Amino acid sequence: MLEIKNLSFHVNQSEPGETGQKTILNNFSYTFERGKFYGITGPNGSGKTTLAKLIMGIHSASSGNLVFEGTDITENSLTERAKAGIAYSFQNPARFKGISFRQLLGIAAQTEDESVLQEIVARVGVCSLDFLDKPVDSKLSGGEIKKIELATTIARNPKLAIYDEPDTGIDLWTIGPMIDLLKKEQKENQTTTLVVSHNKNFLAAADVVLILKKGQFVYEGDLDGAIPMLTNLSTCTLPDLCEGENDVRCYR
Amino acid sequence: MLDAIDKELLKKVASLEKIPKGAYNIRKNGKLLGRQSSANITIETNSRNTGINIIIAPGTKNESLHIPVILADVGMTDTVENNFIIGADSDVTIIAGCGIHCGSKKDETHEGLHEFTINENARMSYIEKHYAFGDGKGKRALNPKTSLTLEKNSHAELILEQISGVDKANRVTEANLNEGASIILKENVLTEGNQETLSKASLLLKGKDSSANLIARSVIKGNSRQDLLVQLDGRNKCYGHIECDAIIFDNGKSEASPALRAEHPDAELTHEASIGKIADDQLMKLMSLGLSYDEAVNWIIQGFLRMD
Repeated sequence: MLEIKNLSFHVNQSEPGETGQKTILNNFSYTFERGKFYGITGPNGSGKTTLAKLIMGIHSASSGNLVFEGTDITENSLTERAKAGIAYSFQNPARFKGISFRQLLGIAAQTEDESVLQEIVARVGVCSLDFLDKPVDSKLSGGEIKKIELATTIARNPKLAIYDEPDTGIDLWTIGPMIDLLKKEQKENQTTTLVVSHNKNFLAAADVVLILKKGQFVYEGDLDGAIPMLTNLSTCTLPDLCEGENDVRCYR
Repeated sequence: MLDAIDKELLKKVASLEKIPKGAYNIRKNGKLLGRQSSANITIETNSRNTGINIIIAPGTKNESLHIPVILADVGMTDTVENNFIIGADSDVTIIAGCGIHCGSKKDETHEGLHEFTINENARMSYIEKHYAFGDGKGKRALNPKTSLTLEKNSHAELILEQISGVDKANRVTEANLNEGASIILKENVLTEGNQETLSKASLLLKGKDSSANLIARSVIKGNSRQDLLVQLDGRNKCYGHIECDAIIFDNGKSEASPALRAEHPDAELTHEASIGKIADDQLMKLMSLGLSYDEAVNWIIQGFLRMD
């Protein structure tokens, strides 16, 4: 349902004294299948969020193509991709002055009908109805804003839902119900689900675990098969430390 | 009689569809259009014939008063001086505002001085909206001056809005707070085109345990300019906070100068100010929900300028 063809993404070097471009993704290709739940993980800086943002259209690809349900969306804007059925849950959701959760949910669901909005809140389940009156501002806790982010994503009824680190700021007791919710949406609506996460519970729930390293998938399979590589990646901090050093090569 | 333009102006500045019930005073083109006092609210022309005196009886609860001013195609400078005495222990809402329609080359100006004395334990909500429209090339200027004295344990909440169509404005707000008095002052200003607004506020916290919270939100579009000068003076054990936020577009110019002065060791005064373009993360979130760029900007500005 989503075919990524030879996707590359380069950014200008931002460190003082550095010039030229840094490559985040290089000639990346992968096909995501309809209705599957993908858990994307990998070391910090491996390009997970960049890949997610390229799919949503928050970043524009340097080269390559994205084909969504048979249509090339490479040149489509963020708004056009949202309207085509892609939804995105941000790792650090935006906070607004003067916009309530009710209004944000209304934009997402394209309705002001109170009963419809309450139905969505009930369907999401992780937040109570009185959440609707809350301003989506800096007074919300990290967990509250993530629940709102989850609800606005689900309210889109997306064909493809992308969740970037959905458990950030969420208490341990909510992670289980959150995973159940994403699985339920996957099953009932055939939602293709991409979760970028370091959390083992999300990866265990995935049909396919993908490990991204240096802009390429280096593993595709179930969680059990991924564990040795993940353990290796998580225990060795040297690649991060070594990265960028001259005359250093990792032999691991 | 109210014509279509009058009705549009009244709707914008005072949320009135027709002549209100209860106490009101409507001024049109420098003259009295209609007035009604109530059992607890007395409205009378002042001795110099330059405006009105409004006297709210002590203990008046849950009553409101409308005092809009409209200027429609007369090319005049309308100057008005209104004096408000809010009786002790009362709790009232006052809805003021000025609407200008300019359909000619002639300039239209409204100069409004509002002086308030809010007596002991009284609470007042004051909403003032300024709005102008019309195809005329004449300049529409609005220069409001609001001056308040808050007596012991009184409270005032002011919402001052200038949202559309005002070419030039010189806004002044001053408040003197006595023991235990508190004020919340919210000011919203949107400028566009070549509009210019200078807004000055000066709040003097001279009574023990007095407090002030000033929240200013500015949206600056096109080639417009907004300058905001705010000062808090703490002369006793008191609390004061200033929050100035501005979103700037295009070639807009903005200056925000929050100033604090303390003359007492227990004066606790703080401020925060920011000027910047519209936040990318807010735009991205709304566009990811299917809004276009322009729709997203509109939602963000409407929320930013909302004063609940």
